[in-house]
Amino acid sequence: MYEFNFNRPASIADALTAIADADDGQFMAGGQTMIPVLKQRLAMPSDVVELANIDDLKGIAVDGGTVTIGAMTPHSEVHNSLEVADAIPALADLAGMIGDPHVRNRGTIGGSVANNDPAADYPAAVVGLGATVVTDRREIAGDDFFVDLFETALVEGELITAVRFPLPDKAAYMKFPNPASRYAIVGVFVSQSNGDVRVAVTGAGPCVFREVAMETALAADFSADAVAGISVSGDDFNNDIHASAEYRAHLVTVMAKRAVIKAG
Amino acid sequence: MNNVNIRDSVRRTEDIRFVSGQGTYIDDMNADGQLVGMFVRSPHAHAAINGFDKTDALALDGVVEVITGADWAKLGFGFIPSNSAVKENTDGTPIAVPERSCLAATRVRFVGEPVAMVIAETLDAAREARDLVEVDYAPLDAVTHPVKALEPGAPQLHNGVDGNLCVHWELGDGDATEAELEASDHVVALELHNNRVTAAPIEPRGTLAIPDMETGVTTIYQSTQNIHALRAAIAKILRLENDQLRHVAPDVGGGFGGKNSLYPEPVVTVYAARNLGRPVKWVNDRSESFLSDTHGRSQYTTVELGLDADGTFRALRTTTIGELGAYCGTVGAFTPTGGSARTQGGVYAFKAMHYRARAGFTNTAPLDPYRGAGRPEGSFQIERIVEKAARDLGFDPIELRRQNIMPKASLPLKTAMGLDVDCGDFLTVFEKTLAMSERAGFAARAAKSEENNKLRGFAIAPYLECTGGMPKEHAIVTFSKNGAAHLAVGSHSTGMGHETALCQILSAELGLDMDHISFTQADTDATPLGGGHGGSRGMELGGNAVRQTADEIVAVGKQIAAYQFECEVGMVDFEDGSFFQPGSNNTMSVGEAVSASFNPDALPDDLAPGCMNIGSTFERGVISIPNGCHAAEVEVDPDTGVIDVIGFWIVDDFGTIINPLLADGQVMGGVGQGLGQAILEQAVYDGDSGQLVTGTFLDYAMPRADDMPHMTLDYYEGSPTEKNPLGVKGAGEAGCCGAPPAIVNAVLDALKDHGVTHIEMPMTPEAVWRSIHLT
Repeated sequence: MYEFNFNRPASIADALTAIADADDGQFMAGGQTMIPVLKQRLAMPSDVVELANIDDLKGIAVDGGTVTIGAMTPHSEVHNSLEVADAIPALADLAGMIGDPHVRNRGTIGGSVANNDPAADYPAAVVGLGATVVTDRREIAGDDFFVDLFETALVEGELITAVRFPLPDKAAYMKFPNPASRYAIVGVFVSQSNGDVRVAVTGAGPCVFREVAMETALAADFSADAVAGISVSGDDFNNDIHASAEYRAHLVTVMAKRAVIKAG
Repeated sequence: MNNVNIRDSVRRTEDIRFVSGQGTYIDDMNADGQLVGMFVRSPHAHAAINGFDKTDALALDGVVEVITGADWAKLGFGFIPSNSAVKENTDGTPIAVPERSCLAATRVRFVGEPVAMVIAETLDAAREARDLVEVDYAPLDAVTHPVKALEPGAPQLHNGVDGNLCVHWELGDGDATEAELEASDHVVALELHNNRVTAAPIEPRGTLAIPDMETGVTTIYQSTQNIHALRAAIAKILRLENDQLRHVAPDVGGGFGGKNSLYPEPVVTVYAARNLGRPVKWVNDRSESFLSDTHGRSQYTTVELGLDADGTFRALRTTTIGELGAYCGTVGAFTPTGGSARTQGGVYAFKAMHYRARAGFTNTAPLDPYRGAGRPEGSFQIERIVEKAARDLGFDPIELRRQNIMPKASLPLKTAMGLDVDCGDFLTVFEKTLAMSERAGFAARAAKSEENNKLRGFAIAPYLECTGGMPKEHAIVTFSKNGAAHLAVGSHSTGMGHETALCQILSAELGLDMDHISFTQADTDATPLGGGHGGSRGMELGGNAVRQTADEIVAVGKQIAAYQFECEVGMVDFEDGSFFQPGSNNTMSVGEAVSASFNPDALPDDLAPGCMNIGSTFERGVISIPNGCHAAEVEVDPDTGVIDVIGFWIVDDFGTIINPLLADGQVMGGVGQGLGQAILEQAVYDGDSGQLVTGTFLDYAMPRADDMPHMTLDYYEGSPTEKNPLGVKGAGEAGCCGAPPAIVNAVLDALKDHGVTHIEMPMTPEAVWRSIHLT
């Protein structure tokens, strides 16, 4: 990697100052993508502001209607949280499917959604549950947060502090992992809350998206059969050595069906 | 007391070291005053080099030296050798072995080819300097597909090599095979691709070269499989004598063939260290491993099988195109020719066989042996065509195999490929595997799968193998006066457990306590010769060398005992660690004999003190024939194409099993690599740019623990070989011979009602899904 200044602030305010003072600073929230990128010399930030020492960014809080997860909470903590498992079992389930134990112990929800990898799992939960991304200065609806490939609504220097999930009536995530990387080739998150249905798809396209035709069908009849006949167009889908766009499109339907069954 | 016997499952003594972080790998080693070397590698698959500019790199703080391809060419050293056992084409002309320089000077032929080495005080400086070496490339058209490379109009890699063809070669009787195919009631043909893979050992390649300026000897620590041969090759290139180099392989984190070859980087590292008079260390990173390690397999093959109406096999013809990559590797042209031809036809009887191969150059990393080196290709070819014949012609695949397996009574025989099959009971091994594989419950399990919208399949795949590698091995036993023994061997474990197995043999033969035997391998100072690791030779060569040395120690011990017993040497027997004279009370333990061996007063005139310290060279006569049978049960999800390998049963005939626990490890590891090749792994080059697409573990799918099935293993020892004193047949490569056809055929069995008759490896979920839904 190239040389950079390394900062480990202990408060949100200090983190924001550090990033504001830097020529070209970057937050590090687990580093599961960033460290390999730095090692490969694919990025040359002047400053890396590591967030691991900021207690205000950590932890899980469940109240009557929401689960709030601090941005620096690692996947393993979400996966193993009895509170999350009780409130939104699909979310705990999803966190346990990310990467491997090493990744889950280091990677964080804030880092994952800020990076917006097209094959990441968390974006499916954020959109699929209609969550809210909380930053140091505002709240951003999940639907508005993920803009495009590796692109989010965050502005320069903006820091995610937490992600707030409303409790669904039922929800489930089904993932078809890439055999090599174990990222999602296709991941489908379905939820139902007060008759409102969401179907969020990750891995298939350049960015997580909602599958509206399926949402409509499931709103009328929340059953596997309701989505079984809905085929998705793979026109804008990813196409690589692991899966063609056509196959990904097929998998969206299969995974959606299975997610509906899993949601019960 | 820890006395052990042959066939004991002695636990691996080296594992404490490995699992507690005490192993010594190249990256762990550091020498005083050490410099760090890194290689500048070609970003182009094919390009002319118009020049180098190292000014900026040399100007960087901490950079000591930059050696470019142009500099290297001026030094006038030798080229990387290729020692293929196949040296001539069918017409008697020599095969094409283009010169390969350690650092490319005028032209690069694959992405990752080294063009310069930077040597610096620190890793950071070396890495920085690597980016500052300017190479003026003029890109050329590239070809990365082995079939396209041989077509007219393909980009040409080497001057003087017409049509990129390295070798055209055949084995067997072409006319007789043609006649038998003509006379067959049925001829079934199949086109197959044996996918290109890479070994991806957990420890990347690396070298630490430490020059001793007083003695002139440079010690080379290298993560390799084959120090004696590589020392000689490095010495020859650098125009040194062998004894100016000491070559040591410390703990080596996996090789699988990929650390067998002589690569450019260690040669330049040794030169740099000697030239600068300081230790130089180079270790590849993982990306460099993917780019620059030799790859394996890669054949495009047509197999034709001729059968009588009743299913009796008559003839087999295999026509294949292999791949060398950009240059001939150390074994080079042998793998797709002789290496693949020898075991053609597997365990089945044929009236005639014929094998034809062409292999050429492509703008890819060189290919060289990968676990099995041709035999897995051969095993895949025969088992796929037999399965195809059964499906096409309506035979039961199990029955068709049973019917054609060479009967025990027909052995010994020489196959139509010239392979000397001395012994084996292939039908018994087949039936034992079948019996073990719970066939009775299959119908019920298949019905259960169907209820869950899954497809269940089964296949059985016998295999016939042979050993290989260097034909000589040396073992030396040196005793201390207190009776402790030190064993040094020239064979080499890269993780297989020889430290346990070879000491176990010595312990068993001499009745010595295992805890009192220490071990050295892979050090040119420790043994005068050694054949390293390769061709499943560890027990066949190393084991027999230990056994032979032990026999010679016993013979000397008998002389010592006879002197003390005051009897004729012929009257002394040896058993369970004791010399004794039957019919008397005279006994002497090995420890007492060792003690006596250092005492001139206790020795007869013709023995000198230290006479029980013995080194002996074992030489193999004829290669052995490991064989066995794999069976697999799989479940396929037709909606996604995902394969779940559920059951796996194996019976192997490796002759004498020295240590079942270690043999199990060899078999399971081989199955892991076979499963990887069958359903996960492939090294992919982009056809246009020649870039390696699968350059990281994000894209190269290694098998993981949760991909592996439960395996049930057994051994058949009812057919011992007399080819070597231990009666061992070699175990290292068998797993990846049997697993690919067993798994692929089981998947096709699961899909038989969908009209699917063939899917290429790796059987990725999409490939399986497409075969079901889009054919």
